[in-house]
Amino acid sequence: MQSFEPLIIAFVCNWCTYTAADLAGTSRLTYPSNVRLIRVMCTGMVDPQYIIKAFLEGADAVLVSGCHPGDCHYINGNFKARRRIRLLKEILPQFGFEADRLQLTWIGASDGIQFTQTMRELTERTRELGPVASRSQMVF
Amino acid sequence: MLRENYHAVIIGAGIAGIRSALDLAETGSDVLLIDRAAHPGGLLSRLDAQFPTDGCGMCKMLPLLERDSAEATCLRKGFFHERIDFLPATELSHLEGGPGRFAVRLKQTLQGVDPQLCIGCGACETVCPVDMPDDFNSGLSRSKAIHRVVPHAVVGAYVIDAAACTRCGACVPICPTGAIDLAFDRRKEFSILVVDDELSVRDSLKEWLLNEGFMNVQTAESGAEALTLLEQSDVKLLLIDVKMPGMDGVDLLKQAKADHPDRVAVMMTAYATVDTAVEAMKSGALDYLIKPFDPQAMLAMVNRVFQATVSVQERQVTAGAVILAGGMTLFDPGEGVNPYGYGTHPHVITSLAFERVLSGCGPSQGRLVRPADGKPLQRIAWLQCVGSRDCQISADFCSRICCMISLKEAVLAKNKSNDAVETTIFYTDMRTFGKSFEPYRRQAEEERGVNLVRARVHSVTASPESGDPLLRYAGLDGRMHEAEVDLVVLAAGFRPSPETEALAELTQAERNAWGFFQPQPFAAACSSAEGIYLAGACTEPVEINAALIQASAAALEAGRTLRRSGSQLALAEGPAAKGVAPDAPPRILAAICTCHGCLSETRNTEKLISGLTRDPAVVQVLFVDQLCGADGWGPLEAAIKDVAPNRLLVAACHPLRHSTHRRALSRRTGLPENLMTIVDMKIEPTEPQADTTARSLRTALGEHVLSASLQMGVAFLKHTDPTAPEREQVQRKALVIGGGTAGMHAALAIADMGYGVDLVEKENRLGGNLAWLHHTLEGHAVKPLLDQLDDRVIQHPKITLHLEHEVVNAVGRVGDFRTTVQNAQGRTEILRHGVTILATGGLEAETTAYGYGTHRAIVTQQALERQIGSGEADAAAWDVVAMIQCVGSREPSRDYCSRVCCPTAIKHALYLKEKNPRVQIYILYRDVMMTGFSESYYTEARRAGVVFIPYRPQQLPGVETSPDGIVTLSVRDPIAEVDLKIEANLLVLATGVVPRLPAKLAAFYGATLDSGGFFQEADSKWRPVDGLREGVFACGLALAPQTITEAAAAGQAAAQRALRILCHESLSAGHPTAAVRHSLCVLCQRCIDACPYGARSVDLEQRRLVVDPAMCQGCGACAAVCLNGAAILNHHGAGQMLAMIDAAVE
Ligand code: FES
Repeated sequence: MQSFEPLIIAFVCNWCTYTAADLAGTSRLTYPSNVRLIRVMCTGMVDPQYIIKAFLEGADAVLVSGCHPGDCHYINGNFKARRRIRLLKEILPQFGFEADRLQLTWIGASDGIQFTQTMRELTERTRELGPVASRSQMVF
Repeated sequence: MLRENYHAVIIGAGIAGIRSALDLAETGSDVLLIDRAAHPGGLLSRLDAQFPTDGCGMCKMLPLLERDSAEATCLRKGFFHERIDFLPATELSHLEGGPGRFAVRLKQTLQGVDPQLCIGCGACETVCPVDMPDDFNSGLSRSKAIHRVVPHAVVGAYVIDAAACTRCGACVPICPTGAIDLAFDRRKEFSILVVDDELSVRDSLKEWLLNEGFMNVQTAESGAEALTLLEQSDVKLLLIDVKMPGMDGVDLLKQAKADHPDRVAVMMTAYATVDTAVEAMKSGALDYLIKPFDPQAMLAMVNRVFQATVSVQERQVTAGAVILAGGMTLFDPGEGVNPYGYGTHPHVITSLAFERVLSGCGPSQGRLVRPADGKPLQRIAWLQCVGSRDCQISADFCSRICCMISLKEAVLAKNKSNDAVETTIFYTDMRTFGKSFEPYRRQAEEERGVNLVRARVHSVTASPESGDPLLRYAGLDGRMHEAEVDLVVLAAGFRPSPETEALAELTQAERNAWGFFQPQPFAAACSSAEGIYLAGACTEPVEINAALIQASAAALEAGRTLRRSGSQLALAEGPAAKGVAPDAPPRILAAICTCHGCLSETRNTEKLISGLTRDPAVVQVLFVDQLCGADGWGPLEAAIKDVAPNRLLVAACHPLRHSTHRRALSRRTGLPENLMTIVDMKIEPTEPQADTTARSLRTALGEHVLSASLQMGVAFLKHTDPTAPEREQVQRKALVIGGGTAGMHAALAIADMGYGVDLVEKENRLGGNLAWLHHTLEGHAVKPLLDQLDDRVIQHPKITLHLEHEVVNAVGRVGDFRTTVQNAQGRTEILRHGVTILATGGLEAETTAYGYGTHRAIVTQQALERQIGSGEADAAAWDVVAMIQCVGSREPSRDYCSRVCCPTAIKHALYLKEKNPRVQIYILYRDVMMTGFSESYYTEARRAGVVFIPYRPQQLPGVETSPDGIVTLSVRDPIAEVDLKIEANLLVLATGVVPRLPAKLAAFYGATLDSGGFFQEADSKWRPVDGLREGVFACGLALAPQTITEAAAAGQAAAQRALRILCHESLSAGHPTAAVRHSLCVLCQRCIDACPYGARSVDLEQRRLVVDPAMCQGCGACAAVCLNGAAILNHHGAGQMLAMIDAAVE
């Protein structure tokens, strides 16, 4: 039987995590092909509707990753993201998605290795969670 | 492509050089930035995090206005600005001319890898056999001879360490783009002549050289024969025996050099004739070798000569001004006595090396382990003042930044280990002399548990049992203590960077006793040479914000020189990009790099094409060879002219590398840059999934990933709004509030650049605190400075002075403020201006402590200075003078160090001692904040017999007065553990500085105050004089406690930042920028709260929400909070994001 391959959408901020992804690339580090990166200017611009849309459209996990606290290029976008994700995690189960499928991390520009590790761990964890159970019963 | 004429050449591309370069570029100058290192960023390229945020933040230096002129990406990866050219590995070799017309000769050392061709694939690294210590990681990890210059650099990624390279040639064929040149051909041709009367020497040398690839080796057995050969061929290098029959080596050397001075000669000598060889160096020999010599040493020398001839490229440019920004270098603790065993004890490293240990791309990938053996770190000790404040090694200065570096490193180590690691800092004085420093120390100490021990460690040895470092130190109690730790971090001080001496000679800029460049009195950015300016740590070890302030001041001075010398700084408004009609249907040209043919091997190109063209918006798919290099972008230009797309999608490796190509393409084709997007072919995931590594699966997956990336790119482009951003008019005038040191400097700077200035001052005179200051610590009189500034301001035709006026109201935003000022009679006037500079100054803090106000003999430092100024101070009448420092300062209620009090106390102590050598002076202190070179006055004061007694804030000195005029102090001497009584004729209190910046005034301009009541900067490190609201700046004591020279520099820096705005007729937004859909907006104003830059407001007349295009930085916070979809982020909008999500999950 073919094992379950999750699809993961990662919103990464232009200034830190995207840079870390680039560093991973130039350092020839690899990470699972389950992850699709979407570059955003800042984690603070990640509208909850993007996350919900990603889940509804078929993502098995969503990652939002930006600069470390205090390091956001736009002063405090990452704090806004943190508040927003905390709330989203509370309401996601009502839509049939485990809160664990949504993750927020801080990955700085020199953390290329941490970037690949995060991607690997998230893929692993999502694989263990399996497909979104409620998806089959969803009516759009 | 390099230009030939620049407005300014900046030497040193550390943060100060970058700041000066950006400041000049943003005001219209073309700048050439060079660095002797192969990468920009200087020391800071090795540091991941700074206090107080414990993050990086370097990107905050990037332009905020005309953002599109620079690349919006992490500054540590390299940087790009339209008006700045950067030359790595380049040094100044000659300088001629003067301000406005310097002829600058430069010498660039080529790195063996062509930066234009290198795509950073790293194939070379895998075959290089040389294993050497990695310089970037302070030798804590290994690298190859060919290596990435900085792990995170994007441009010019790889370099060859010529000294370590064995020229095995393995990397040359494996490089896919042919970027590596080991100069084999030129090595073959390189002509060498060996002159020795001994056949065996001639033969063996020739053989060794042939083996090394030098095919063009001739030999001669006498001077005469050599001269004949020299006539016949163009010999580049001579190896000459000193002692030969007939013409001896030195004679030959002289003749050989006579007609070809650039010919290189190396002498070979027996031990007995070394003196002659040394003598020969005066006649032009490069060096000498002592026989019998090690072939390796000889070959290394020949290789060096060869490298120098083949890899050095000369360039000549002109420049109007030169800025020296060479920074500083770390003191090598292995030098001299080395009591801490640096270099011999494996677990003793420098603070800079520890920064690498902490780094995510450092030797342990950011894990907190001991570099030498990987043991998890549990106990770390920092030793302060290594190589600083040490008269024995002629380092009678404080390196200023080490205290905060150690505190930060301790906190970062705590962060990494969830507070498990034990951290101890052994210090002399904890110099927390800046605004946010004291709270950081308090937090580190009290909340994070960083131990601070006041003691100088005198030795580090290996513990006999564990081998771990064992520290021995004398505590404050005078007893010896021992401590065993896992790692010792030496907070090494700083020295001038190595090229300083040569630069001083070339530029004629004077240096101080410690080899740093010497600024002019009260002008931190001016050197002793005309047209040569100083930025950053080349004048003194400084922290980031001070370096940047000085760098902006240097840019200002350079700009002034340019203007004076008649150079026209013209800013071309609105780039030539044609723009695309908003309603034109998207026509996308997709260009995919074939990756040197690899693409067709692993991907089904037919399927890629059909996948893409399924979308009618994609008009053509193009496969291009080598989009990663400049070559690939040529065909693209032709295709764009041919297909006439209005969007361009590019798929290539490492998108960040292509910004220059993209910009050039946009310029040449007129297709706006924001309508081009580059998706990554490589950094997209490539790892084989699950448990199979089958090639077919990998191929299928790779294809899937690539096509998803492409689809996402198409989605992004299709929904991009092509409308060009709006522009807003600028009132090209400045308002400066406050006519003290900083305010006058700011006003003069702006006025000198030709813009009008309104200078508003509350008092009926200019000068602020200059009026009562008598002389500086360095002995410069203050009065002449005041008179000169006063004169210049009053006479300046561009400055309108409003004495005895106050600001009563202000409205507006960057580019267009309206300020109402009122005079004593209540008459008001409205001033219109584009920028606002707050220079409202500060005062000596008031106090009631220590009986102040109850007794004539208890005064403040300011009162003493006034007495000195007026001649009232009668030093001869005093037997004992006591001073108490930190009165009311560095306490939770006033949580900052005023930084001027220690220098003032010592200045007065020295003055009194000079007037009356018998006077006894006691200074009661907590930490003596004599930072930088002011340290030497502290030494001088101690030599003069001034007694310094530390006290703890928990145990304040007691003061009693008596009617006979004597003040009695009681204080506990912590060393002798006894209570001291001091009966003084005069008690002087250092009460510190408080700002005079009313919150209401700040609020008029959208500025806020920090906990000390000072102006809150946008970022305390990276934007030290800017407010978060664009167009509002601060300087002088309203910004932070500062000396006169610092206030002057801050005033100029604020002016320079203001000039970025004033130099434009109108300001435009960059990409992306927020906008409002008025039909959907319900004026709930959530977005106004969300905007960190205050760019959104309600236009009361029109009753609608507006976004200021210049203030908006495009973070998108507003769009994320809007419930109605009325707040939008153009060029990164919801439509685009949703479409990309769709494409991603497909
Ligand atoms: S810019 Fe990275 S999180 Fe805001």
